[in-house]
Amino acid sequence: MHTIFSRVNNVSAFLSSCLMSLVLAVAIASALYHTYQTPPAAGVVVNSIKVLPGKGRYLRKYRSRQQQEFAFVNFNLTADLSPLFHWNTKQLFLYVSAEYTDQQGTANEVVIWDRIVRRKEDANISSTFKNKYHLKDMSTTFRNAPPAHYTLKYNLMPYVGLLAWGEAARTSEPIPFPEPHQLA
Amino acid sequence: MFSDELKALRRLGFRHVLLQVLNFVQVLASGFMMWKGLGLITNTESPIVVVLSGSMEPAFYRGDLLFLTNPADQRYATGDITVYKIPGADIPIVHRVLETHDVVAKPDDYVAASPLAQPQLLLTKGDNNPVDDLDLYQGLEWLERRHIIGKVQAFLPYVGYVTIAMNDFPQLKYALLGGLGLLALIQRE
Amino acid sequence: MSASFKDNLLDLLEGKIDFEGQRQVENIAKFALIAAAVFSFIVGVLFQSLSVTFGIFGVAAFVLLLVVLPPWPMYNRHPVTWLPAKESQPPS
Repeated sequence: MHTIFSRVNNVSAFLSSCLMSLVLAVAIASALYHTYQTPPAAGVVVNSIKVLPGKGRYLRKYRSRQQQEFAFVNFNLTADLSPLFHWNTKQLFLYVSAEYTDQQGTANEVVIWDRIVRRKEDANISSTFKNKYHLKDMSTTFRNAPPAHYTLKYNLMPYVGLLAWGEAARTSEPIPFPEPHQLA
Repeated sequence: MFSDELKALRRLGFRHVLLQVLNFVQVLASGFMMWKGLGLITNTESPIVVVLSGSMEPAFYRGDLLFLTNPADQRYATGDITVYKIPGADIPIVHRVLETHDVVAKPDDYVAASPLAQPQLLLTKGDNNPVDDLDLYQGLEWLERRHIIGKVQAFLPYVGYVTIAMNDFPQLKYALLGGLGLLALIQRE
Repeated sequence: MSASFKDNLLDLLEGKIDFEGQRQVENIAKFALIAAAVFSFIVGVLFQSLSVTFGIFGVAAFVLLLVVLPPWPMYNRHPVTWLPAKESQPPS
């Protein structure tokens, strides 16, 4: 503390430890908040599913694009996720995924839609959506696929601290995949 | 020119120099120990990574610091943000899991004692990218557990930007080293 | 003339303060930083804004550096009073 240089040294060392404790306090506070808050109210309802044949992506394994069935899902989301927005919420990553375990025992989870919500004002969702990403079975056909659950989940991403995941809604009954439409 | 320094060195004595070296080595060793210890607890080869690309914007920007875990008793789920490294690719990638397929091994394979030993096939996508990562997998059809370094658990903005700045502007590195050297010369206790 | 100017400049850059001043600086820095951290956290919670928290902390830290770093006269009010020099004895 004798010269300017030693004062800079000392004060900045203490300043950075104070800053670190402040950041830590913010992270702990928001983690506690997320642990003890009531889960948000939300619902997901599937309106219709269509299965259409098409061509999959080019795979080096086959050196071609294989025949592949795609499912097209039309669903309704109602969710009020504004309670998830607090002082340390940078954004919410919302996603809808289809979940089913097929006869071979393979548990599949496929995200079919997502959205980034950055403002509290946009956290109230009530609307109809279609899938953004391809929903396809690993066996290239949905013929043997059992009915699937559709869930709305979120990933809370903070400005600083721990990320949190949660499930906001789930379809009450599993919804079967229909017979594929034949293209003329 | 160096006669003064040499004289000072002789005055301090051999033991003092050794002590300095020992201190320096101790700092290095404890840093390395903390890094490896953290890796052991979190079960990942690099528990802290710096974001290098903008493919996860607006969540993660270049220079943000991510803290990873890779618990051996957990499977990955959709929505998890993973850091993975494809053999042959030079840098790890931070992207979100889009699809998981927990495959049950065929009967003529080994019988796995735990479902965790079964292979899990993953597909990932960057939040800021329009399409999934299949083209980044260098011919692989799916990502597997062994490619994954860890799952992002916590986030600290900006702090890692120093390393990026030093890579982008090499002059900065030399300026920093020079400054430190100068200080070491000036400060003589 | 030029030598004294250089000495003055070096003195200014070095910014020496006395022992009492050092103690003052240390106390001020500790108190101010802890108070700033606690205060900015509480205000940030009340306003539900992290930018308020870190804004307050940043401003407080800046003000603190202004108060603490330069060798203000108040840190030099207790100069060390040395004992009077003894008559130097020639080595026998």
